[in-house]
Amino acid sequence: MITCADFMAEIGNYLEGDVADEVRHQLEHHLSHCQTCTVLVDSSRKTLKIVTDTGSFDLPEATFRPIAERIMARIRSSDK
Amino acid sequence: MSYFGEVALGSSFQPFAALQEQFGFVPKLFRAQTLLPRVLEAESALISAILFTDKALTRIQKECILLVLAAVDGNSYCFTLHYQMLKLLGVPEQRLDCIVADYQRADLSPTTAALLTLVFTLGNKEAAQEASSQGLSDESILEAILTAALSRFLCTLSAGVGATPDFAPRPIPSLQVPLSDTEHSAEFFRSTPKPPDNFAPMLFLRKEFGSVPKVFSAQTLRPDILQAETDALRHLLLPEDALTRAQKRDILLAGADLETLRTRGLTENQILEAVVTMSFGAFFNVLQAGLGAGSDFTARMPEKKAHLSVPLDRHTDVTVVDPDAECVGKVKAGDLDAFEELMNRHSQRVYRTLVGILGNPDDARDAMQDTFLKVFQHLPGFEGRSKFSTWLVSIATNTAIQRLRERRPMESLDESGPDDEGFRPRQVQAWTDDPEQLYSQAEMRSLIENGVMKLPIKYRVVLMLRDIEQLPIEEAASALGLGIPAIKARLLRGRLMLREALAPHFISSGNRRSAQGVTN
Repeated sequence: MITCADFMAEIGNYLEGDVADEVRHQLEHHLSHCQTCTVLVDSSRKTLKIVTDTGSFDLPEATFRPIAERIMARIRSSDK
Repeated sequence: MSYFGEVALGSSFQPFAALQEQFGFVPKLFRAQTLLPRVLEAESALISAILFTDKALTRIQKECILLVLAAVDGNSYCFTLHYQMLKLLGVPEQRLDCIVADYQRADLSPTTAALLTLVFTLGNKEAAQEASSQGLSDESILEAILTAALSRFLCTLSAGVGATPDFAPRPIPSLQVPLSDTEHSAEFFRSTPKPPDNFAPMLFLRKEFGSVPKVFSAQTLRPDILQAETDALRHLLLPEDALTRAQKRDILLAGADLETLRTRGLTENQILEAVVTMSFGAFFNVLQAGLGAGSDFTARMPEKKAHLSVPLDRHTDVTVVDPDAECVGKVKAGDLDAFEELMNRHSQRVYRTLVGILGNPDDARDAMQDTFLKVFQHLPGFEGRSKFSTWLVSIATNTAIQRLRERRPMESLDESGPDDEGFRPRQVQAWTDDPEQLYSQAEMRSLIENGVMKLPIKYRVVLMLRDIEQLPIEEAASALGLGIPAIKARLLRGRLMLREALAPHFISSGNRRSAQGVTN
């Protein structure tokens, strides 16, 4: 039987799908009767999905363009 | 243009006067090193003894060796320089093109052809015997090997200082180069005269290295060269105004990773000295291979081993398929528009790396200019051993860390935060099924950005690169100089902490009121 602490030690690999079949069966058996760990796995997956889907920290083209122009101007002037 | 600033040394600076006389101008390769005039003195001593002194081989023969080996190295700077020199020495362009394309079909004299075979297959005893049978003296063979070593020195140096060609760059054609297994032998020369016990170069070497490395004992046919080599080492090693003597001895004997050094906060003078020291190491490494002299000097990078089986090395070096390689090649050839294209492709990645470390979008935008200028400056030395994008992120990372240190000297990517030990999830209420429907996209971004910004830096930067920028784990590890287990551990911690911060906004409606009560 694995405990919640054991589960927490493996949760990273489990979320990445990076555990051996036998370990995965044990972890899933634990999930089948542990509401806390089930919530942790579910909310961690949702966190990851939100973070990857939302397009956070986008640098708008209108902000980047003047920066790029300044850089190119510096490069072109030093290359002469 | 190069990586390093140029300082006026005046027309009486002897090394420049010698270069001016021999080349007709002072090549940019040397003007890139004026921060440390003494290394120019060291180089000038070596180059004059090998290239500018006519003993066994002619200048044209030596320039031919330099030209074809620069082509083998794919070094545009050196290839262009030696091509131009040979033209000035009266060799027609058409003839040069034939030699570079396939010297065995270029109708060269048997001795010159044997010399080129010798330098293409350094360390191969049969090639040396073939050269002998063509009437080449031991002195000629030694000089050819020295010239091959000089080629490696100049190629390493020009890439290391980021010199751009002095003339319009010549395209380097594909080469027909003989391959052979190398068989090292210490019996290249029929006689290696024993110098007198008090011969100054040997005394210096014994003092500096504890004993005389074999590569020097194998060159006693040319005491003038030994003198020049040890003079160069004296100029290089003894002063400690940039790197220490011990650091330089290490780099000389074992090499260094220039791409890493450039991003480690060393001063310009220190980096320049590391580049020069490494170039001398590469010189002695080729020399010891060519002379079959045992291995005191190790070349750090595989392609720096020597001019040994070069096409094979090149083939095995290609371990990464880089979608930016073509664009990088164009920039190296002088196409500035290609650099703009690289910036456009990677602006988000650089920005996110910078935000991840600096924790502030304004600072990140500000640091973008620094980052891309550094990338442009160092690009000639980028050798494609990692993907361009990985290299770019490592420069962005180091630029940001440098700024962070200036701002908050105590903060670093390795700091242990108060949350490092004993992190336990506290928000354990079920989330709503579809959290993305609860808020507008702008609100979601704001929630995530606020949550990410509150993470400790060591977790924030890994989460930014892996989850937001979606950099493969190996690339994130390489860019941040961390092992994959460390990346995995930090990523998990970052995700769990972010989950904790977001939870009050996403728990299912039945739980929300009580959760807000807890967090408020």
